Amino acid sequence: MNCCEFREKYSDFADGLLTSGEHAEASGHLAACAACRRFEAALNAGLNALRSLPRLGVSHGFGARLRHRLRGELAVRVPVVARWSSAVGTLLLVAAVGYIRWDLRESHEMRREQMAKSASGWHPAPLPLAANAPFPVPSASHIRVVRASFEPFHPMNSILLVAQSAPIAMGGPQRLDLPAVWGGP
Amino acid sequence: MTLAVRDGVRILGHAPTTPFAGLEDAQVVQAFLDGHERAFDELVSRYQTRLLNFIYRTVGDRERAEDLVQEVFIRIYRHLHRFDQTKKFSTWAYTIASNLAKNELRNRSRNPLVLFQTIKRHWEADHRPLQFEDSSSRPDDLFRKRHLRELVEQSVSQLPEHHRVVFVLRELEGKTYEEIAEITGCNLGTVKSRLNRARNNFAAIISPHLD
Repeated sequence: MNCCEFREKYSDFADGLLTSGEHAEASGHLAACAACRRFEAALNAGLNALRSLPRLGVSHGFGARLRHRLRGELAVRVPVVARWSSAVGTLLLVAAVGYIRWDLRESHEMRREQMAKSASGWHPAPLPLAANAPFPVPSASHIRVVRASFEPFHPMNSILLVAQSAPIAMGGPQRLDLPAVWGGP
Repeated sequence: MTLAVRDGVRILGHAPTTPFAGLEDAQVVQAFLDGHERAFDELVSRYQTRLLNFIYRTVGDRERAEDLVQEVFIRIYRHLHRFDQTKKFSTWAYTIASNLAKNELRNRSRNPLVLFQTIKRHWEADHRPLQFEDSSSRPDDLFRKRHLRELVEQSVSQLPEHHRVVFVLRELEGKTYEEIAEITGCNLGTVKSRLNRARNNFAAIISPHLD
């Protein structure tokens, strides 16, 4: 083993990580080499001096400053939770009110439309069904969907279709009890 | 110190002992997560000095080191609920400290303030407050000791940053190679290589002054 090899393996040698054969070889080199002995002596003296340096302690105001910062941390965190929960609550309330208003207006319009058609003596003809549909879906060639709405509160998760035949307006809502995930043909 | 809840705010105060003094770190962490506010005090008192010395040896500025130790505790406080309790708390704390110290050094290298910090360090050495020393020692011994200490501090600060972190963790904090690898995010081979180079550099820097 030469000096370069010894210095390269020095950490493993000092920390006892070499195999017994390598350790014996490194020890042999150290015993024979004055330069490597000086290196090791300098390192050990430096490390001893380093370890004997007084350990710093935190300053007198450290606890108070940490206390202040932790207080700030909590002061920030609590309102964030409160702010988010109130925002979500407001959003839900607005959505609920909007939905109710929209639903009332739609049903009112439909009722008015039905009444107008009843008064004129018009009755819708049964719709032809689309071929190969897994459920009764009116054929797209006969109807035109003018409005589709999803009714999440209906027990069947229905999709409400307001349809018209072309070119004569058939009008009137046709309820199709479709699975909620149905995307249409 | 005591961490108590007052009006929904946790307050650090001083207390002579805590009921967590005899517990392992993992148990103290669990106690804090279970809602025992004082457990955080115990973690602070256990680690504040160790982290301060580690960061100070890495960044070389006492005041900044103390600021960074505070930052470490803030982050611990903020993220303790996400801490993987299968791992050692001390390793996690040192990882946070090491990352903050690295960031500090990186920021300094981009910032001209580094010049001021260097000047300030030398200024501090020259204007150190008068200290009473052991009068039983001979004056030349005292001079040699003080000189050696300054020399050693300078030698550590001259090491490249990534060598210095590994060197301080091993030689001053007594961490194992595996712990250092985890703290620094390096593999074991890199840790060994950096430590060996740091030891060689340190010996090379200090040896001319020891003769």
